[in-house]
Amino acid sequence: MPTLPEKIDPVQLARLGSLPMKARVIVQGALSGMHRASLHGSSVEFAEHKEYSPGDELRHVDWKAYAKVDRYYVKQFEHESQLTIYLVLDASNSMRFAGGGIPKIEYAGLSLAALAYLAIQQQDKVGLVACGDKSIETVVPPRARSNHLHDLLAVLDTLMTRGGAGDESPAVALGRIAELTRRRRSLIILASDMFDASDETLKILSQLRAQKHDVSVLHVLDPHEVTFPYDGLTQFEALESTNKMLVNPAAIKREYLERMDAFLTKTRASLAAGGVDYHFATTDRALEQTLLDLVIARSRLGPGRRA
Amino acid sequence: MGFLAPLMLIGLVALAVPIAIHLIGRSRARVVKFAALDFLMATKRKTARSLRLRERLLFLVRLIACAAIALALAKPFTSCERKGPHVTRGPQAAVLVIDDSFAAGYLIDDKPWLSRATAEGRKILQQLGPLAEVAIVRASEGADHPTELTRDHLRLRDQLIALEPSARPADTTRALSRAAQLLAASSHSRKTVYLVSLVAKSSLRPDDPPWGKDGPALVVVDLRPDKMPNLAVVSLRVEPDPGAGSRGVSFAVEVANYGDTIAKNELSLTIAGRVVARGTLEVPPRDRRTKRFLATLPAGARTSDAMVSLQGDALPIDDRRWVRASLRDEVRVLLVDGDPRTVRLDDELFYVQAALRPGDREDSGTQMRTITPDELAGVDAKAKGTAAELDLADFDVIVLANVPALSPERVDALAKWVKAGGGILVAPGDHFDPAAYDRTMLPLLPQALRDPIDTTWGAQESDRDSRALHLVKWEADHPIFSPFTKSGAEFVDAKFYKIALLGPTTQTADRKVLARFTNGAAALVEASIGSGRTLLFTSTLDRDWNDLPMHPGFLPLMQQAVRHLARKHAAFGESDHLVGSSISLPAGDLKRLEVRGPDNLGAVFEGDRIAGRSTVRFTRTERSGVYRIIGTDQTASTHERDELAFVVNVDAKGSDLTRAAAEELPVSGTGAGTTPDDASRRVELWHALAAALLLLLLVEGFLVQR
Repeated sequence: MPTLPEKIDPVQLARLGSLPMKARVIVQGALSGMHRASLHGSSVEFAEHKEYSPGDELRHVDWKAYAKVDRYYVKQFEHESQLTIYLVLDASNSMRFAGGGIPKIEYAGLSLAALAYLAIQQQDKVGLVACGDKSIETVVPPRARSNHLHDLLAVLDTLMTRGGAGDESPAVALGRIAELTRRRRSLIILASDMFDASDETLKILSQLRAQKHDVSVLHVLDPHEVTFPYDGLTQFEALESTNKMLVNPAAIKREYLERMDAFLTKTRASLAAGGVDYHFATTDRALEQTLLDLVIARSRLGPGRRA
Repeated sequence: MGFLAPLMLIGLVALAVPIAIHLIGRSRARVVKFAALDFLMATKRKTARSLRLRERLLFLVRLIACAAIALALAKPFTSCERKGPHVTRGPQAAVLVIDDSFAAGYLIDDKPWLSRATAEGRKILQQLGPLAEVAIVRASEGADHPTELTRDHLRLRDQLIALEPSARPADTTRALSRAAQLLAASSHSRKTVYLVSLVAKSSLRPDDPPWGKDGPALVVVDLRPDKMPNLAVVSLRVEPDPGAGSRGVSFAVEVANYGDTIAKNELSLTIAGRVVARGTLEVPPRDRRTKRFLATLPAGARTSDAMVSLQGDALPIDDRRWVRASLRDEVRVLLVDGDPRTVRLDDELFYVQAALRPGDREDSGTQMRTITPDELAGVDAKAKGTAAELDLADFDVIVLANVPALSPERVDALAKWVKAGGGILVAPGDHFDPAAYDRTMLPLLPQALRDPIDTTWGAQESDRDSRALHLVKWEADHPIFSPFTKSGAEFVDAKFYKIALLGPTTQTADRKVLARFTNGAAALVEASIGSGRTLLFTSTLDRDWNDLPMHPGFLPLMQQAVRHLARKHAAFGESDHLVGSSISLPAGDLKRLEVRGPDNLGAVFEGDRIAGRSTVRFTRTERSGVYRIIGTDQTASTHERDELAFVVNVDAKGSDLTRAAAEELPVSGTGAGTTPDDASRRVELWHALAAALLLLLLVEGFLVQR
């Protein structure tokens, strides 16, 4: 295995080969030296023994203990079932924007791929829902098999290669997940730039949280969107519409930055109020750092909300 | 507008440059696909509008700048009407003719027109520069004129500042004539007259041009407003009106309207400082109307000054007029006819009677009684009720016309009467015998008489007129001759065929020859006898020896002579003296005479200025109003001589402010080589274009930076 740099530059990472490889590099880079994955929640962890009583499942009888003490003991575990993780990728046109580094969709995709890799490693069920193009419904149902990871990453790779299309809001995809989970608690991770004209996305995220789902948002923006470093007469063209705008950036920079700041503040505040876990990353930020922030934040949430 | 270098307009194709820059600039904009366009779109309305405006402004500025470069190189110019007179700076001779007549006091925006004129004059003086030799000539009638041009512009400026409207009318032609004389003496080649005037028609005499073709250039500075309406009291006559009682007088006021609209104005009559009558008068435009006032003079005064005034208009000086109103003293004259005839025309006194009582009117001011020498011989001055039942005390004047020598007694009686204050006029004739006169009549004569000479004796009928004598020298200041013009046109043509010569001087006091003939012989001699006067005319009072009675001067001469002898000059103050006229005041026996006029105008005649003179001449009549006389007689008693007071009025011809037509103005001369400037001048515009270009470039730079 090649020696990885301490921090993984997303641009360099993008030059690596297949997505599974990239995902593994991220995970290994992020989690090397750690004794265990923080993102566990496996359903096989032993908790205690209890004496058998009628009604207990026979398959949980500890036959080794019976052999030693000649009594029937039944093994009890911490979780009875696997964790289901829904990865939601905003694959709309606005995610294609790349100010100088990699496009936002690629950064978001890589992050989700690494998470999928990690979850599958822990034998959790991972599904994928993409939004953006209304004509194509991209839903990968959650599975825990290792070859499922391959399928999921293939879909993710396709989305990243295509580079985003359409202007469908993540709210639609989230709504679909709400139907799919059917009251089964799940972990929902949304990677998006949150450029939703309406507040539908924020609203549905709060609703999901109210339904006891664990919800995390990875808010991905391009550094150019945050700093607006343009100069000289520039014609800006929208990615999700045909709008164009010829403008002198210097004349409007201040106002733009004020509006962007207000947008970020509002998004953060709105999600915090709904109990949604929020992570902000620009596409020039090291991916494993972003991944670590996400994993560590999840571990801090305690057993009840651990994945 | 025109161009000095029109080929440079080809440079207008440079307009393509900003168009190209504009188009290239649009395509040069960097295209950025941007996700967060919504955030930009929120500012779109504002920025797009300002950007579009900036772009269009920039495009426009560049277009104009390119056009300005081409236009400036083509050197555009335009022509415009000159404002104000064109004054060339430098060495030259110039005369400023300023109208300071009373019309210059016409109020425009509560300021006299003259203040505008002097301000313009100062401006012209400044523009002429220090090398110009200049003089200022006032255009009012009778004004003193400078004798030479000067470079002392400071003094000229002070003269202009000190100018005030006079009370005289304008005589622009005379002023221009004087200006031409001043300029003719200058060695400069450029000679200009700047006429700062109201250019009133009444002030010009088109028939008497001030200069010929080689005269100076004339620049008329017309500062008058389009319309200058004016109302003026142009005449005020007064005459006794017996119908209004013994003190009744009638005033005839003539008001002229020089405006273009009908004028209704209120008139008031003031007598001795009190308003005694008012009335309104409506005067059609460019017309005159007369208003009559009947009034009575204040009790106890035989003479009083009266004033008629209009409600003020823009020119107040001619809204008032003064007159001396007198109750006329009748002169009682006893005519002694030495050659009475039944045919009145042949009568010795026919012409005298006609002159003293013209039209045989009651108001002629003369009461006459005619008698024969025989009747006079029966008269006893002391004993009444004799043959003629005449009392000499009933008469002021006795006229002895062609009377044979009287008896010594009668002469004594008459001499006493004369010494007591009577006046006697003696004229010879065919009944006159010099020897007899020498014997008895000397006490009544200023000088002895000798045989008459007949200038036509032995002459052919055709030569008769050529050999006749004429009056050539007369005392123009004497009250008898005061009504006549200086040239004496009224009597100078009278022919005298026969005259009586004078002998040695008698002992009479104050003998004075008042008029002489062409041969040097005395024609009219005056002398004092006691308190009375005697007057000797050396020819006949009819047409026997001369044709004087046929001349217009005979009537006033007789009337003045009789009134002089009677010492009654009541008519004196009634004459309409005009501002600036010279007035002869009878000094009589006064040893000091003081004239007090309005605005502290006046004069004191005493010592050598009055001693031995029968009259003094007062010339400072510069203001209209009443002039009073204070006299000190030989007894050192001083009192006001009301009968000598007189009034002075402005000349009404100056009230007509009608603008003179252009052809009535003197033709501008060549100014000795210079030609009058065009009425228009060229204004080059390229300087302004260059300045605009600079400004445009600054604006362009500012817009580019934004």
